[in-house]
Amino acid sequence: MRRSPDLTSVVAGVCVIALGTLLLLDAAGTMDLRFEVLGPAACAALGAILLASGLTRPR
Amino acid sequence: MNETTQELPPEPSPQPRRLLRARSGRMIGGVCAGLGRYFNVDPILFRIGAVVLAFVGGVGLLAYVAALLLVPAEDSVGASGEPAVRNRWLVIAGVVLLLLISWPFLLGGGLVLAGLLIPLAFLVAAGVLVWWFVSGEGPSGDAGDVAKRALLGIAILAVCGLIAIGGAWAAAAGGETVVAIAVIAAGVSILVGAFVRPMRWLVLPAVTLALAAGTVSAAGIDLDGGVGERDYRPASALDLRDTYELGMGELIIDLRQTDLPAGDVPLDVDLGIGEARVIVPDDVCVATDAEVGIGEVRAFDRHNGGVDVDVDDLPPADPDVTRLLVNADVGVGALRIGQSGADLDLDRGHFDFGDHDPDLGENSGCAT
Repeated sequence: MRRSPDLTSVVAGVCVIALGTLLLLDAAGTMDLRFEVLGPAACAALGAILLASGLTRPR
Repeated sequence: MNETTQELPPEPSPQPRRLLRARSGRMIGGVCAGLGRYFNVDPILFRIGAVVLAFVGGVGLLAYVAALLLVPAEDSVGASGEPAVRNRWLVIAGVVLLLLISWPFLLGGGLVLAGLLIPLAFLVAAGVLVWWFVSGEGPSGDAGDVAKRALLGIAILAVCGLIAIGGAWAAAAGGETVVAIAVIAAGVSILVGAFVRPMRWLVLPAVTLALAAGTVSAAGIDLDGGVGERDYRPASALDLRDTYELGMGELIIDLRQTDLPAGDVPLDVDLGIGEARVIVPDDVCVATDAEVGIGEVRAFDRHNGGVDVDVDDLPPADPDVTRLLVNADVGVGALRIGQSGADLDLDRGHFDFGDHDPDLGENSGCAT
């Protein structure tokens, strides 16, 4: 039987890639990363990871 | 008549109720649920009490961690009703810890000790939560299990701290692209691992690295230019540098004795972390275009502070007056621009603002 993917890892992977992309765009000069962008992005990423972790935690 | 008396077996003495961490109905470690069951009241009351006490100097958190370590869990109690204590020394250590906590309170002089132990309790709680997230093993089992998981969680936190320092330093030293690629590679590994073999242990270090480098980038910290104190006193406009650059430290540009021509004179300042002071003669008009990631800009009688500080103050000047165009980029710290007033006296070595507003003079050279 095929095992279903780990939801927490999927969400965390996507969030980490998104944060890395922000850094890369800033390093390339395509965008100017500021706290007004980083703050909400970090909160959203951490929130999504914790939410996924809570949803998949065995009871 | 022969009476036969049949002696009844003595009634077994009732088992004393035992305080156990509840397995069912628990939110974290089953402490409040166990207390509720023990006292036959709704455990939500204990939860509210614990949260409220956590904000009263952290006492609630300290008590919760102590209960996690000392009160046995339901699933660790054997058929005989005796808890399977595997690490007695941990229980003894917990009792000693509680004694250490309690005696200063009793004597009324334990603020110093409590100041050490309460952060320690926060650290243990953070360790348990981190390990819970990474491995899925919550704060169940006996004291040894909880302590072991807390230690593993704290070790992960320590590694993340080192990663944060290294990532921040690399990004500030010009390696932001490398850090960004490393973060993306970690994200791809986590994503692929979700379908093959989950790598939850990598999530926390990757997020830590991303946030540390992101903070450096958002603040605009650039360590090019070295570390230390730089004091520039150019004699004329020809001696002015294209950019006054410093990675970390104190940067002083004293133009009081500089022979400046009439018209616009550019002055670029690039400071990573620290304080930059620009001191100008009384008859010069200063136009300021400054960005500070975290910190403040004080230009004469104007003050802006906080996060993502942008100052655009470009007043006009008469043609026969020098207009200094200060273009500054400070990561974390302060930019101060003023005249040779008492609060800019370099002989004192620092700005002494004290409790009063600084006297940085007036930008009186500009046209009104």
